[in-house]
Amino acid sequence: MSELHLFIGNKCFSSWSLRPWVAMRQSRVPFEETIIRLRQPDTKANIRALARSEKLPCLHHGKTVIWESIAILEYIADLFPELKLWPQDRAARATARSISAEMHSGFQELRNEWDMNLRRKKSPKPLQGPARDQAMRIEDYWRRMRSTYGQGGPFLFGHFTAADAMFAPVVSRFDTYGGLLSPEARAYCDAILATDAMKQWYSEAAQEPWPEPSPDD
Amino acid sequence: MARFRLAIANKNYSSWSLRAWMAIREFDIDFDEEVIPLDTPNTKRLIAKHSGAGRLPVLHHGKITVWDSLAILEYLAEVFPDRGLWPKRLGARAAARAIANEMHSGFLALRNACPMNLRRGRKPLRDPLSDQARADIARIESLWKDCRKEYGKAGPFLFGRFTIADAMYAPVATRFDTYAIPVSRSSRDYMDTIFGTRAFSAWKSQALKEQWVIAADEVD
Repeated sequence: MSELHLFIGNKCFSSWSLRPWVAMRQSRVPFEETIIRLRQPDTKANIRALARSEKLPCLHHGKTVIWESIAILEYIADLFPELKLWPQDRAARATARSISAEMHSGFQELRNEWDMNLRRKKSPKPLQGPARDQAMRIEDYWRRMRSTYGQGGPFLFGHFTAADAMFAPVVSRFDTYGGLLSPEARAYCDAILATDAMKQWYSEAAQEPWPEPSPDD
Repeated sequence: MARFRLAIANKNYSSWSLRAWMAIREFDIDFDEEVIPLDTPNTKRLIAKHSGAGRLPVLHHGKITVWDSLAILEYLAEVFPDRGLWPKRLGARAAARAIANEMHSGFLALRNACPMNLRRGRKPLRDPLSDQARADIARIESLWKDCRKEYGKAGPFLFGRFTIADAMYAPVATRFDTYAIPVSRSSRDYMDTIFGTRAFSAWKSQALKEQWVIAADEVD
């Protein structure tokens, strides 16, 4: 099989990049990675030249170029069915895809208010209005998934799935800005943050030489 | 097999609903539908009966509830693996999912400037489009062109035969048409292919019979 090669943005703040990276790393899928620094005048040109894409993250597999975080996750799930990247039970899988799709296109206000920023000191930043409702719905999803499907392990559907990868950036946002979380939400965030893949991502983010993002952003 | 029940919003305006409905119809899957008009005093309560996410479309299948258009389409692709909802080949399927997902979360400038409104009548917007909306249009046209060229030999759709990717882009084809956005000849051909499907014709004729008006989606 030809090599998988993942192109991603800065680890400190690229929430889209984190999703496929953490899923592949946590599932022990071997891949090469290239980081393309975002928010620079030549970012767009570099993404085109290196990733042959308009957007990051982007996965190369031989001649196949796949962009969009969910499309990459579906591709990995297609290539390696034995990884069980989606839950095995059909109802659980349908729910996992629903909440993942909702994470993919929704929760805008929350994402705007709580930028993923791994350099920022952990301190509460209270939300209002729609962003607050969205945070409550996310916590509600976590609680419901854990109690309905989560018996086999600490993740939303027991073992680590693509849905956990889709929510990993928002876990980091809850951890950074959320202050005191409900015990269930705290336990789930800790389970994600304790994975080998997340620990590696955080430690590599901490070593990034670039000034962006500022810890105060 | 349990019967499918699809809850959708107004056909004139609901681009998300069109995606799920068009695919389920075009793939000859039997289903019952419930239309919940948006922007009425009862809307919230009626949607809440179907899904906690508070959004349409929602698909019910026996005890299973799936929401979000793309998750619904993935679910149907799984239940009917022989009907070709996604392209068969791994590479083509990956490309189809990439463009479907790009539509799913992107092109906000275009979507905000040009709400889907099937009864509006074909005329340009009064105000010029923003640069960002224009960039969205260029990107969509280039995706269509690339897919048609790379994967579309066997038929008039993005991947030859009708797939989920076409369902995802159907609403944007109507926006290009409604707001008389100048597009290339090949984009126009592709839009006409979408409009010529049985599913889209049925959707549009039902949409035109609706009386509900959503002021926010009526743009001069």
